[in-house]
Amino acid sequence: MNIPDKLGPEKLAKKPAPRPARSLRLKNTMVGWSFVTLASLLIGIFYFFPMVQALILSFQSGSGVNLSFVGFENYIRLFQDPVFLTTVKNTVIYLIIQVPVMILLALFLSVVLNNKTLKWKGFFRTAIFLPCVTSLVAYSVVFKYLFAPDGIVNMTLMKINLVSEPIQWLTDPFWAKITIILAITWRWTGYNMIFYLSALQNVDRSIYEAAKIDGASAIQQFFKITIPMLKPIILFTSITSTIGTLQLFDEVMNITAGGPGNATMTISQYIYNLSFKYTPDFGYAATVSYAIVILIVIFSIIQFKAAGDKK
Amino acid sequence: MKRIFALLFVGLLVLSACSSGSGSEADADTNDIKVWAWDPNFNIKAMELAKTAYQEENSELNIEIIENAQDDIIQKLNTSLSSGTTKGLPNIVLIEDYRAQSFLQSYPDMFYAVDDSISTDDFAKYKIPTTSFEGKQYGVPFDSGVAGLYIRTDYLEEAGYSKDDLQNADWEKVIEIGKAVKEATGKQMITQDPKDLGLLRMMIQSSGAWYLDEDGVTPDIADNDALKEAFRLYKEMIDADLVKPHSDWSQFIAAINNGDISMVPSGNWITPSIKAEASQSGKWAVAPFPKLPGIESVNASNLGGSSWYVLNVPGKEKAAEFLGQTFGADVDYYQQFVEEVGGLGTYQPAAEGEAYQAEDEFFGGQKILSDFAAWTEEIPQVNYGLHTYVIEDILANEIQKYLDGEDLDTVLENAQSLAEQQAK
Repeated sequence: MNIPDKLGPEKLAKKPAPRPARSLRLKNTMVGWSFVTLASLLIGIFYFFPMVQALILSFQSGSGVNLSFVGFENYIRLFQDPVFLTTVKNTVIYLIIQVPVMILLALFLSVVLNNKTLKWKGFFRTAIFLPCVTSLVAYSVVFKYLFAPDGIVNMTLMKINLVSEPIQWLTDPFWAKITIILAITWRWTGYNMIFYLSALQNVDRSIYEAAKIDGASAIQQFFKITIPMLKPIILFTSITSTIGTLQLFDEVMNITAGGPGNATMTISQYIYNLSFKYTPDFGYAATVSYAIVILIVIFSIIQFKAAGDKK
Repeated sequence: MKRIFALLFVGLLVLSACSSGSGSEADADTNDIKVWAWDPNFNIKAMELAKTAYQEENSELNIEIIENAQDDIIQKLNTSLSSGTTKGLPNIVLIEDYRAQSFLQSYPDMFYAVDDSISTDDFAKYKIPTTSFEGKQYGVPFDSGVAGLYIRTDYLEEAGYSKDDLQNADWEKVIEIGKAVKEATGKQMITQDPKDLGLLRMMIQSSGAWYLDEDGVTPDIADNDALKEAFRLYKEMIDADLVKPHSDWSQFIAAINNGDISMVPSGNWITPSIKAEASQSGKWAVAPFPKLPGIESVNASNLGGSSWYVLNVPGKEKAAEFLGQTFGADVDYYQQFVEEVGGLGTYQPAAEGEAYQAEDEFFGGQKILSDFAAWTEEIPQVNYGLHTYVIEDILANEIQKYLDGEDLDTVLENAQSLAEQQAK
């Protein structure tokens, strides 16, 4: 955006005639601004204006259109609201269990698939990436049927005599969380794997060769070379995954509808319920939305700090 | 330079195109009436019958019926009404009774009163408090959610019981029979979604109680004897392993149609789904809804049911007129509704019609419609108020704790304080 600005004064200053330089500089600035103006205008109207509106809304409360300003009452209510706290707890549980599992799995798969001697590489890559192109709702519905009391998962487990009676995958508070974690892991592992794969392609083979000559084992190579080389990508994927998990909605809505009780409900689903399922209180729903924003900021800062980079 | 200005100009055009959509004039006198409803086999069909009946005499009115899922209707209404724009909204919309007050009170000027088009005395009394607000009648009461206990007579016979044992019975009796049937056939009694407390709602309404006080706002949970009794019975059923869990509608229907359960306590609108399994013809009957034991309670209750509402948009007078002439006056229409859809209205003059006297072979020749119509009149009137679903989510969570062994009073007191916090 500021290329014309920067190029303008420095390069043109050396030219002898000031008049044409001035007009050229003006022209360049104009071109720059004309590009920026439109984009910033659109971003302003469609991003920042609604964000500010939502912030104002979060200080209001009432049913439907009968909103009135209540100051910080919504934010106080937030910390006394056991449903909100439960949804935060659920979301954090998904986060701290699912994200590390998925990232390790994706790392492992990408290293395996990066192996030069592996046959059918293209097929495996496609197969593992394929879940990412399925629609969230469609795969959720499929998972719901797979994990139904008489679904194929229970049938298989019972046929091979691992369990004697069907596991209540969807109606037991513990197993329902497991089902959700399994579902999102299936859906997103391939997506993260692709990032690692492409990063691995850029790692110089000779580093590994040198390590091999020095007698490093495969495990040592993985932890001492692969992981450090991929660090920026791991940071990127863990932040995007964290944000994705904090905004988790479709899967829970379709697989368990938040049940049993509130055992699998996420923050986003609570926002939906406040706006559409219950008597609508858009003000409080906006407050909960801002809680997600704050959580995302906090988690991202933690991850940057943990990664310990200047980036 | 020219190009830059061209670019800016295009940008401005794009922006102005975004905003120009809202400024169109209101066409006050339109003949196009749009209707939103869900369930093609029931509500949509009912509306189509009404449309055909009305257009015979009023051919100039153009009625378009649009099917939407119920959740979609709720979302679209909420987003449009809260933004204050009525563009894109229909003239007539179907709203579930449990939710009606939430809409009427949240968007006070957005609905059109239909007092001039219908007479509230013609309809089942229990429908009126939910469909009216501040003394004005907004809803045209539509289908009855009158509840019954659907039973598998063949399973009952194996355990030595018959349908007569369930006439005017209470839940203790039902559970006793359920246990015996399970002993004899191995079939559980009912199927239940742990998140959907419809069963409890039916139980408490049979004694005239609800989650809320009569004012429709104050939560009434901790000192609600009917609710306490309903919780206790629910636990008794779970503890006796009489309840088969399901987690969605299709599993619910599958449990019925596969013959996994011996009883289905539900609203009469479940009839078509039960009859869908033709091989079970003659094996079903419908008993009156069981009473709560030891509490003042009747053998009648309600589950679901909805009503038509006219939105305050151009064409409202004609829309109200249409609803009034069909759902609010036409006895013949209700006969058709019974014959072709199998649905039960709440328009009382219609209940004397011939179609209600039909015997249903699927239910062993029982006159189920006339039975349902009789029970409809006994349904205790309660004010569903604003907060049915908030409180239900709280209870669905708390009831798990109770089932896990916590003390009933503690659980309900906890639910009460949660409800007071959330429902305001």
